[in-house]
Amino acid sequence: MSAEAPAAQLVGKLEVGVSPSKRRTLTQMQERGKWWRFLALIIICAIVLIPIVAVLILSTQPSLGSQTQGFTLENFGTIFAKTKVGTWLMNSLTVTLVTVLVAVVVAAPAGYVLSRGRSKLVSGYSLVLFIVQSLPVVTAVIPLFILFAQLGLVDNLAGVTIIYVGSTMSVAIWMMAAYFDSIPITLEEAAWMDGCSVFGSFLRIVLRNSLPGVLSTAIFAFLLAWNDYLVAVVFLRSDENYTLQIGLQTFFQQNQANWGLVMAVAVVMMLPPVLLFALLNKYFSVGGIGGSLAGR
Amino acid sequence: MTTESVTGALKKARSGVGVGGSGRSPSSRERKRQFTHSRTFTLFVLPSLILLVLLNVYPVVYAGMQSLRNGDLLSAGNFVGLSNYISVVQTPAFLHATLFTIIFTVVGVFGSWSIGLALSLLLRTRIPANGLFKVLLLLPWVVPVVVSATSWNWLVATPQSPLPIIADALGFGNPLFLADPLNAQIVVCIFKVWISFPFMMMMMSSALASVDVNVYEASKVDGASSWQTFGRITLPMISRSTYISWILMTIFCVNDFPSIFLLTGGGPVNSTQTLVVLAYSTVFQNFQTGPGVAIAFIMTIVLVIISVLLYRQIRKVNIE
Repeated sequence: MSAEAPAAQLVGKLEVGVSPSKRRTLTQMQERGKWWRFLALIIICAIVLIPIVAVLILSTQPSLGSQTQGFTLENFGTIFAKTKVGTWLMNSLTVTLVTVLVAVVVAAPAGYVLSRGRSKLVSGYSLVLFIVQSLPVVTAVIPLFILFAQLGLVDNLAGVTIIYVGSTMSVAIWMMAAYFDSIPITLEEAAWMDGCSVFGSFLRIVLRNSLPGVLSTAIFAFLLAWNDYLVAVVFLRSDENYTLQIGLQTFFQQNQANWGLVMAVAVVMMLPPVLLFALLNKYFSVGGIGGSLAGR
Repeated sequence: MTTESVTGALKKARSGVGVGGSGRSPSSRERKRQFTHSRTFTLFVLPSLILLVLLNVYPVVYAGMQSLRNGDLLSAGNFVGLSNYISVVQTPAFLHATLFTIIFTVVGVFGSWSIGLALSLLLRTRIPANGLFKVLLLLPWVVPVVVSATSWNWLVATPQSPLPIIADALGFGNPLFLADPLNAQIVVCIFKVWISFPFMMMMMSSALASVDVNVYEASKVDGASSWQTFGRITLPMISRSTYISWILMTIFCVNDFPSIFLLTGGGPVNSTQTLVVLAYSTVFQNFQTGPGVAIAFIMTIVLVIISVLLYRQIRKVNIE
């Protein structure tokens, strides 16, 4: 220490003209502010997550009329044994997974056209997508209810799934298009030279290189279908056809004060999307929507 | 990238050609391929087009006709002209719902935007556990609305809830936040901001990520304060994304049914009723299809006009 200090002073004196201290301040400030920002983020997270943490805590507290005390998982056993949560969970999963699958299969080729096509028709289609996205779901729900009643699709999971696919369409197409924009067209052109068809090049070259885009779209469709309330509440009538959304809501109304059980259902409901996001978060980006909206 | 290729890409971008495209008009040799292209492209678009027409266009047209009739959910009824619209517009409930929709939307858009932008600025800097924070802060948006509405109910609405108890201890009495009209309106707006800020955070993060870091270095060298940098450089650079995110959030807020319906059901005394909730309750609770659809259709028309105007505006901003 003692030997180094004067040496450092000497170097300091020598470099006065360049003033290294001033140059270093920027990074130093970043370093110094780092822990303050870290602290601020912890506090913000703590406040923002109160409602979610409350669900987790309440679900592990003994419910009304229970003998146990303190932390317990018996609420989960109770809801699966005594309510139809299992059925609702299966319904929600089926509806959501089918929606995701169909949405990706339909949106991917359309997004490809939106990304590569350069005609008046394509930009017209883009405008139609934008308008459709802004339509209130309530407006569509009433006529669809009347139509689906005639087709026997009311109180039917297939009917709900069809509507979910329809309502994911425009954003799903934008997201796919945004991702395809990032894939250079030269790859396909080379394939065409080798005699590959447009469909073949789309399938083997574009789609194969678009896993992040596909995942992003899939996550979006998953969240939309899993989190929907309006369509389910209008179309699903009998409790063996409920999705978790409606199941939780009716369960909540019947067991107002029994927070332990209600929150256990809530945990079952929020776990799949939260897990999905925790695992695949890095693939998901809504920023692309902006670019693809403005880009064409 | 050399300057030449940059200017070339810019030129292409201005004339609407993607970075990969050549920007040349197709030669005669390529016409045949153009034809097969357009045939494949048509097939590619067709499934989505059918879905859109069947599930979005058809219902809206049908709703438009239904709003001119006096039918119900089972029968079509007779043609009554614009009388549904006239009677609906004159009700105080409609005016109140319109007003609250505007308040709800303005608070929702700008509240979530400012919080989302602030957080994305915070997260952009180097911070320990950066990725974890990002995931945690997205949770309000990821968790289903039914779950969060239930949880907020527990937090604010019952006599045993934590928030009324805290308010009581601070000497505000024991307010049941969802039982008083003004309090309920405030809670609903805060709830919407809480749900929406993660979306804004994502939009703004990706906008900030695309801003060239060198610009900040330059402004630092020029001695700009961090407020100056923010106001004169960051904000203008992300203006397009900001604009788009405002538009999307406006649409989300106006169309938002579950947040309000699950939290308050539109009450107390209809104070938190927005147009969507009013349309829903008119049709499915009061069984007045004509007036209900008329309300929904007024919303539809306004939203379509707004979105077409804004769509043009975005494209204009983009080309400049």
